[in-house]
Amino acid sequence: MSSFSRSAQQWATFARSWFLIDARMQPPGKIATMCSIRLQGKHKPIYHALSDCGDHVVVINSKHIAFSGNKWEQKVYSSHTGYPGGFKQVTAAQLHHKDPKAIVRLAVYGMLPRNLHRRTMMQRLHIFPEDELPYDIQANLTEELPQPREIPKKLSEYTREEIDAFPRLWTPPEDYKMK
Amino acid sequence: MTSRGTPSRFLRSVLQNGVGRYVCQLKRISIVFSKKAQSSLGARDFIEEGVVDYANKNPGTVVYVSPQPCRVPKIVAEYLNGNVREETITSKTSQQISELLTKLTNQSGLEIIRIRKPFHTDSPSIQGLWHPFTNRPPSIGPLRPQKPDSQ
Repeated sequence: MSSFSRSAQQWATFARSWFLIDARMQPPGKIATMCSIRLQGKHKPIYHALSDCGDHVVVINSKHIAFSGNKWEQKVYSSHTGYPGGFKQVTAAQLHHKDPKAIVRLAVYGMLPRNLHRRTMMQRLHIFPEDELPYDIQANLTEELPQPREIPKKLSEYTREEIDAFPRLWTPPEDYKMK
Repeated sequence: MTSRGTPSRFLRSVLQNGVGRYVCQLKRISIVFSKKAQSSLGARDFIEEGVVDYANKNPGTVVYVSPQPCRVPKIVAEYLNGNVREETITSKTSQQISELLTKLTNQSGLEIIRIRKPFHTDSPSIQGLWHPFTNRPPSIGPLRPQKPDSQ
């Protein structure tokens, strides 16, 4: 936009955008990397650590994130209240039940740089457990980012024609009993 | 003092001097010296030998020579942007005074304070500066989440 005046060009270059990420059926770690890159401003060619060039990120459907493997039962989130005997350990499933936003929030927090800017960047991260957004946040959104993981289709979502078109590996004999 | 407590400026040229023709920024030079004192010896020698050549070489600069009873001889240089610089020439030789004069002639009149950056450009970009929508592919359809249209 070469027709901009100097101040308008400066305003345009350093403008803060709002991104939307849908976390339905996505691994929270992949969501968190995308968030942390945009919160720091590393997706911009004008990035500098001191110039506060991070953007806002809105994560929706954080209640429907999907851990791979057995992480819902095996991943442990630990904390300490500071008092003796206050060491608490909860599994990911328990934490998610108590607070559906916590897993995404903790994942992003761990991926941001460990300096004083981290808290400001976390304030620019907005997580919502479901689809509903307040109107003022919805009005600010500029881009929706594509989901990192391709959601596999359930068998019930395939059409009859697609199932029939799938090549058969072997034909069972007449008296074969399917389990 | 710290660089925050003292004034500072950005690197610039006066109206892009030199891109077209070069205009000498020195407007007026006044040599104030004494006719008898020891400290103005070099000044008097310079006025004997060098000042006429200097004035002929710099036709855009007005040279004033003012002998007055003064203790410390000085050169007062005034520039086109209004800045005034005074340099004392006590016990300087004629050669040193002419070197000082060439230095003052070659200066633009901008203040001699800390320059914040050693570079400056009036055209920071040929292809256009980046803004968040360069290289951003247009989004397909309106942004989610959306209210389902009521049937």
